[in-house]
Amino acid sequence: MFKVADNLTNLAMRKPKQVFWYSAMIALAFILSVVIPSVSNMASFMHPLTIDTDPENMLSYDEPVKVFHREQKKQFSLSDMIVIGVVDNAHPQGVFNPATLNSIQDLALFAKDIAWQDKSGQQVGVIGADLMSPSTLENIEQAGPGAISFTWLMSDVPTSDADALIIRENAQNLPLFNGTLVSDDGKSIALYIPITSKDISYNVAQMLQERIDGYQGSAEFHITGMPVAQDVFGVEMFKQMAISAPMAMILIYLIMWFFFKKAVFVTSPMIVAMISVIVTMGLLVVTGNVIHIMSSMIPIFIMPIAVLDGVHILSDFYDRYPRIKDKRETLKHVMSELHKPMLFTTITTAVGFASLALTPIPPVQVFGVFVAIGVILAWFFTITMIPAYIMLMSDKSLEMHKNTAEHADIDNSLLARLLKQLGNATYGYSKAIIGIITLVAIGASYGFTLIIINDNPVKWFSPDHDIRVADKVLNERFAGTYMAYLSLHQTPTADQESTSITRLKKQLLDSQSSAQISLGNAIGNDNKASLSQTLATLITKAEQQIILIEEADVFDENALDDWEAALEALTLEQDKLAYFKDPEVLNYMAKLQQYLLETGLVGKSNSLADVVKTVHREVYSGEQKDFIIPDSSDAVAQILLTYQNSHRPQDLWHFVTPDYQKSNLWLQLKSGDNTDMQNLIERVNLFFKMNPAPKGLSHDWFGLTYINVVWQDKMVGGMAQAFIGSFILVFIMMSALFRSLLWGALAMIPLTFTIVVIYGVIGLIGKDYDMPVAVLSSLSLGLAVDYAIHFIARARELAKQYSNWQQTAKAVFAEPARAISRNVIVVGVGFMPLLVAPLVPYQTVGVFISAILLLAGIATLIILPALISMLEKHLFKKSH
Amino acid sequence: MKLFTTSTLLASCLMSTMSVSAITVDEVINKANHAAYYQANSGRAQVDMMITDKAGRKNKRRFTILRKDIDQKSDADQKFYILFHKPADVKNTTFMVWKHLSKADDRWLYLPALDLVKRIAASDNRTSFVGSHFYYEDVSGRGLKADKHQLLKDEKQRYVVKSTPKKPESVEFAYYVTQIDKNSFLPLKTQYFDSKGKEIRAFEALKVEKIDGYNMVTHSVMKDKISGGNTQMKYRKIQFNNSLPEQVFTERSLRKTPTKYLK
Repeated sequence: MFKVADNLTNLAMRKPKQVFWYSAMIALAFILSVVIPSVSNMASFMHPLTIDTDPENMLSYDEPVKVFHREQKKQFSLSDMIVIGVVDNAHPQGVFNPATLNSIQDLALFAKDIAWQDKSGQQVGVIGADLMSPSTLENIEQAGPGAISFTWLMSDVPTSDADALIIRENAQNLPLFNGTLVSDDGKSIALYIPITSKDISYNVAQMLQERIDGYQGSAEFHITGMPVAQDVFGVEMFKQMAISAPMAMILIYLIMWFFFKKAVFVTSPMIVAMISVIVTMGLLVVTGNVIHIMSSMIPIFIMPIAVLDGVHILSDFYDRYPRIKDKRETLKHVMSELHKPMLFTTITTAVGFASLALTPIPPVQVFGVFVAIGVILAWFFTITMIPAYIMLMSDKSLEMHKNTAEHADIDNSLLARLLKQLGNATYGYSKAIIGIITLVAIGASYGFTLIIINDNPVKWFSPDHDIRVADKVLNERFAGTYMAYLSLHQTPTADQESTSITRLKKQLLDSQSSAQISLGNAIGNDNKASLSQTLATLITKAEQQIILIEEADVFDENALDDWEAALEALTLEQDKLAYFKDPEVLNYMAKLQQYLLETGLVGKSNSLADVVKTVHREVYSGEQKDFIIPDSSDAVAQILLTYQNSHRPQDLWHFVTPDYQKSNLWLQLKSGDNTDMQNLIERVNLFFKMNPAPKGLSHDWFGLTYINVVWQDKMVGGMAQAFIGSFILVFIMMSALFRSLLWGALAMIPLTFTIVVIYGVIGLIGKDYDMPVAVLSSLSLGLAVDYAIHFIARARELAKQYSNWQQTAKAVFAEPARAISRNVIVVGVGFMPLLVAPLVPYQTVGVFISAILLLAGIATLIILPALISMLEKHLFKKSH
Repeated sequence: MKLFTTSTLLASCLMSTMSVSAITVDEVINKANHAAYYQANSGRAQVDMMITDKAGRKNKRRFTILRKDIDQKSDADQKFYILFHKPADVKNTTFMVWKHLSKADDRWLYLPALDLVKRIAASDNRTSFVGSHFYYEDVSGRGLKADKHQLLKDEKQRYVVKSTPKKPESVEFAYYVTQIDKNSFLPLKTQYFDSKGKEIRAFEALKVEKIDGYNMVTHSVMKDKISGGNTQMKYRKIQFNNSLPEQVFTERSLRKTPTKYLK
């Protein structure tokens, strides 16, 4: 393997120009293979660049929770929603004034009609029938004694402030709208705009914003909602890729220039990084993978790793060239010493990332695999292009470098002097150092236990971003913009179903009625249908039979009576399955809702029980005393029939299926934090345990806020597993590389220390352990072990020349230590531009890459030599 | 003289063809309105309603509807009485409408499980008829004066009339187009369009039968073109001129079903 690497380098040194020609052509080929299918339809066999920013897709399409989510959305005709909060601070009544209500009406009517045809000819846009706004919602109220009225909440814009208040009163009087449509303080309005699919929410939000920009007056309009956040994130993500990544490149370049004084000289690692990124991303797109939030970070991960080896070569070359004075000879020396550590660091880093392929989350798998590929590519380009590049440099430019280098006096530079002292200190105070490090590690371990696993896509935006501001404004005033749904249903097992069907069959066959016996015989023996389906089939059969008898030329009254009785018996059985007409069930739901509110985690919940209670109240007195569930299921059915005489009867089917067998509670949460959702799940489980549901009903969650929790669980578990797996693998590799378990263990120490401290600090400062933080553990593994390999490999090499560690350390703290420190500084500082990114995951990555590098560097340069000093006897038994 | 005769002949010919073809749009819609809602002075039918949502799930209702015209000579005010048979849990729920041309209709609902008569006051007539895709107005008839009518086409078998609301803000459509059978004057198809000209809703007669000498739509469907659901209504046990007394259509009979007239 080292031979292969050696041969590659030699070849590159012999034909440096070709190296560049071939590399440029490879890069160009990948650029074209991405650009062509993306901008034209000509190459339809190729994959265009596709972007997917939906965190829902962190789970694969057929993940049970997603299948259930889709199924439920369909069953209850639910759509993802854009939420617009309207606030008017200039008016004492808030938005309830004619001018602002006029804008709100205009916006609602405008939103209702947003629709267009997408590329495949599908009609997409706003689902006008389900739009929630004062102009499109029903006001159900008393209209004088003995009357109930169905009117639009705001059919016309009021002309006076007093009339505006009537609309507020009416809306607040209806539990479904209070806190949802109108804010708790009665001063703001929220519009809920259902859309055909999440991926159009950015477009729809843009159109709404344009309309809003045309309004005069003091009202503020805040657009938010999970779909918008996700879609906007995608758009911003690309701005980030276009700004932050190149900025990091430029900064890395400038720092290298500072170290090595020669602009031309330091260009080569930049070219390596660029080509590695281009080829990796090209491969990603060409193989048909979508650019997900995770994969968008691939360039940012590849860049530091790609530059890393380059810096080692340049650093070594820079220090040696003045002595050897021949570029070919210098390179030979440098490369022979670096081949081994470079190959090993590449393999360990690649293993660290490739281990992510073991996680159950597709985008993370893709991320891991392609970073691993990128790392290997970077190694390949480093060992070929950098030597080739140096060979191509004129002697004159290297001459200049030599002069500046001499002028700088390598051994007397600030960095050199600091490292020298550090080297001595690690020898002299090794026990003290290990003591302090142990204390730090213990402190960090405590922090480790404080880690809060949490994520919230809205928090991916920085606090001053429009979306975060809207999120804050709305959740302060309304019941909540985060949606979760609790589905209630009875799910009998196949066995139970078949038992019920057998019982039904027996019941029919045992009767005296010929109609019932004939129906009983119609039930097959190996029936795969559910009881509910079987009943529906039999009922249709009976109905058809009755029509036949009624329309026959000779009227058979006995037969008619018999069939009518049979039909009634079946209907009675069917009614038993309509659980959600049962007052007992509805009261249980109401109790559950009360409990949800008391948890403090739910801003508000809306259910069928609310609909029934509200209509019940309005058909009676309109007063609170009648805000109850009536005591028979017939009464419930008749109340709901009354409700269905409104303008929006279909709203009922958001809460219950037409057969009344399944129901669904719409929960509005003020926080989209996974911890809050997780908490809620546990509290609801507790409720069901303490208060067993009637009719054997069970519950299941769905909704975006819930899905986020599920994928987070998978991610954390998956990441931990992947990390432990690759940690063990790297340890085995280290022991093999150094042919010693002790050295192998030693190589793992800087990495272990880095991880413990990084995650300890995350726990101590209360930073949520979210997706980017989780992924960084792989990067720590990759980078921290790199420094250790370089340090140990070269220390052992140098130890052969010296009699003891004290002297060896001096040599190690010269050139090798300088290479490591330069690396830490170049890459660490290079990622600072990410700190000003408007997207939090990028900031997180920026901070932590820098911190990981710094820590790994410190751990390598302090802990390793201190430990080696203490363990000198055991480590150098044979060589001394 | 000869010239004169020819020209008078020609003129009278022209005039006669004109009088045959030039039926005014008012005549068409008046006749259509009569055919759809005012045939005979009273009537009865049992209706099987099937509401299908966009997911294909079905809800069935069965009710009997009674109708009586107040003014037997002109197409004006009417009274309707509806008794629900199915589903079982709304059995004996009754619904009554006094349709007025000059003012808002009166509507009542009786809920037997609560023993409660409730007057329903809706802001308009475009609320759902018992949860179906038919609006209340589709069942009782939309006032002819609510729209401006225009004869779009005079086809071989049908008149095509475009109706534009006089108060567009009060309805969800921009206009509707009705195809009226020239023979029976029954509206066989009505399509509702939005302001962009997109069809949002459509009524269609699926079956027309001649009963007691009256042509009648006995199977019809209303489709929601946006959400994809539809409601079908099948009429059976139809009777015309069954001399229903006035007291059938009173608040009292909401509670106490006039069984005699509903059999």
